Amino acid sequence: VSEKSMTKLSLLCSLTGIAALYVGAIQARPSLTPIARINEDYVGLNAVISGQVIDLHEHPDGHLFLKLKDESGGVISVPVFARTRSELGEHIELLDNVQVLGQVELYNGELELVPDRAADIQVVHTPHLELSVIDEGCLGELVKTQGVIVERNIVGSGSLLLTLRENGAQLSVFAPASVVRGDGFPELHVGYTLRVSGLLQEYDEHLELKLGDPAHLGVIEGS
Amino acid sequence: MLELLAFATLGVGMGVFTGLIPGVHVNNLTPMLVGLAAGSVLAPMNAIALIVAMMLTHTFIDYIPSTFLGVPEEDTALTVLPAHRMVLEGEGYEAVRLTALGSLGALMLSAALVGPLLLVIGPAYESINPHMHWLLLGIIAAMIVLERKPKAMLWAVAIFLLSGFLGVLALDTNLGVGDGMLMPLLGGLFGMSVLLVSMKGQGSLPKQHITEKPVEIRSSVKSVCTGTSAGMLTGIIPGVGPAQGTVLTQVATRSGGTRDFLVGVSGVNTAKALLSFVALYAIGRPRSGAAVAVGEIIDVGANELLLLIGIALFAGGLATIIHLRLGKLAAKHIQRLPYRAMCVVVMVSIVGISFHYAGLVGLLVLATATAIGLLPAAVGVKRTHCMGVIMLPCILYFAGLKGGLLSALGL
Repeated sequence: VSEKSMTKLSLLCSLTGIAALYVGAIQARPSLTPIARINEDYVGLNAVISGQVIDLHEHPDGHLFLKLKDESGGVISVPVFARTRSELGEHIELLDNVQVLGQVELYNGELELVPDRAADIQVVHTPHLELSVIDEGCLGELVKTQGVIVERNIVGSGSLLLTLRENGAQLSVFAPASVVRGDGFPELHVGYTLRVSGLLQEYDEHLELKLGDPAHLGVIEGS
Repeated sequence: MLELLAFATLGVGMGVFTGLIPGVHVNNLTPMLVGLAAGSVLAPMNAIALIVAMMLTHTFIDYIPSTFLGVPEEDTALTVLPAHRMVLEGEGYEAVRLTALGSLGALMLSAALVGPLLLVIGPAYESINPHMHWLLLGIIAAMIVLERKPKAMLWAVAIFLLSGFLGVLALDTNLGVGDGMLMPLLGGLFGMSVLLVSMKGQGSLPKQHITEKPVEIRSSVKSVCTGTSAGMLTGIIPGVGPAQGTVLTQVATRSGGTRDFLVGVSGVNTAKALLSFVALYAIGRPRSGAAVAVGEIIDVGANELLLLIGIALFAGGLATIIHLRLGKLAAKHIQRLPYRAMCVVVMVSIVGISFHYAGLVGLLVLATATAIGLLPAAVGVKRTHCMGVIMLPCILYFAGLKGGLLSALGL
C-alpha cells in the first residue's frame, strides 16, 4: 500500500470511528437517576440526580459539601468545589431542591457526585416557613425560616441564643459554640434580618431551631 | 523491621508480576490490600511496605514488555517506539540498561530532594495549578513547531485534534467507565499501529547484543535530572500523568537522541511514583492509585514519609537487579521467537485486554485509535502528537471548558 493510500485509508477510518463513537456517546447521555440506585457500579459514569439539600457544610477554602436526598430515599454527597461555586453565582441553602449532573466517584469509601462546572447545577430555592406556622408538628424536621433578631444572648461556653420575630410570632435559634467559632460565622446584632435553617427541637418546653453549620445561616439585612 | 523488609520484598515480587503482564496494573491489586489492612488481616505498616514496594518495582519492570513486545501502558506509551526500535537494531538489552539507570537515578535524586521539595511544594502547587492549561498548551505548541515544515505542522495539529477528540469521547462521556478506555486508546495509538508498521518486512527479531560494558553515567546525568524534574511535576500536579511528563522530557532531551530520551523518560515514571507519596504528606492530596491506598490506610506524617522513602529505595535497589536480569533473559531468548507470530499474539492480547476492560465499544475505540496511530508514520510526523488523547481532555479540564464543549456537542 502506498503512503498516500495509507494516509487516505487511515484518515477515513479515523473519521468514521469518531463519528460512530460520537453517535454512541449521544445515545449514552445520562437521564435522571434515583439516588438509591447509584452504587459502586456507577463509579466513573456521569449521572444526573435531583434532590433536596438535607445537609450543607462550607469548607474554609470555599468548597461547599452538600448531601442530597430524593424520593427514592437515597442520600449522596455532592462536593461543589470553590471554582465551580464561584461560577455558580447562586446561594445554595438547606432544603433547596438541586439538580446536578456530575461524575460518580468514590472518596474515602463514600459515593459522591462531582459536578464539573456551574452549568451542571440547577438550584430551585424553596420558600422559608413563616414563624407563625412553625409548631410542634414540625418537631424533629429540618426547617427554613426568616426573622429579625430581637434578642441575642451568649450562653454556656460561647453558644449563641437568638430570638427571631416576624409578624408577631417568635422562635428561639440556638447556635452551639462549635458553630459560632466555625469559619464564616457572621457578626450578628439585634435588628439584623436572618434566614436560618436547622433542626427543630424542644428545649425547656420551648421550640428551638438548632444550627448545624455556619453555612445554615445568612444575613438578609443588617440594621 | 525485618517484618517490614519481608513485606517490601513480597511487594517487589508482586511488582514484578504486575510489571511483566501487560494490562495488569498496581491499581488492580491495591484495593485488595487496603481491604486486608482494614480487616486487620494485615498490619497497616506491612500493607504500606507491600504497596510502596510493588508500585516502585512496577515502574522499573513495565519497560520489559513495552521494550520487547511493543505493548504500551499509560506510563510507557511514548517509550514504546524508541525502545522497540532499539530491539529491532539488536540493542534491546541496552534499552533495558538505560531504563534501569534512568529509574534508579531518578529514584535516588528525588529521594535526596524530598527535604528541599517539602519547602516549595505547597506554594508551587498553588501557583502552577491555575495556569496548568497554559503550560500544557505551551508544550503542545513546542511539539508542533519542532516539526518545522508547514505541511508537517498542519498534519501534527490534525493528528493532535483527532486523538484529542477521540480521548474526550472515550474518557469524558458515558461510553466508558473510569480508566477502562485507556487500554484501547493507548493500545491503538501506540501499540497496534506500531506493530502493524514494524511487521512489514520483519521476519524475526535480530540477535540481541548483550553488552557488559559499564553504562556511561556522566553523560546521562542531564537526562536523569530532566526525568526527575518532569516526574516531580507529574507527581504533584493533578491530571498531569507520566505521558505529559514524557512529552516534557522529550522536548527537553530532544537534542540528546534515543539514549538520553530513554534514561529521562524512565526517570519520570519512578520519580512520579515516589513524589506522589510526598504530595500526600505535603499537600494532603494523593497523586497515584498507590498513594490513595496508602492515604486510606494511615495518616502520613514526617516519620511515615521517611519510612516510605526507605522502603522505596530498598525496593528500587532490588527492582534494578531483577530488571537487568529479566531484561538480559528476554534479550537472550527473544530472537528465537518468530517476530510476526509474536506481533500477532501481542495484537490479539491488546484486543482481548481492550475487550475485557471496555467491552465492544472498547474495540471500536481501539480500531479508531489504531487508524489515527497509523497517520504519523504515513505522513512523516512524530507519534508524540497522538498524546492529544490525554492532553486535550486535560487542557479542557484545567481551562474549565470541558463541560461547555460537551454541552455544545450535545453530550
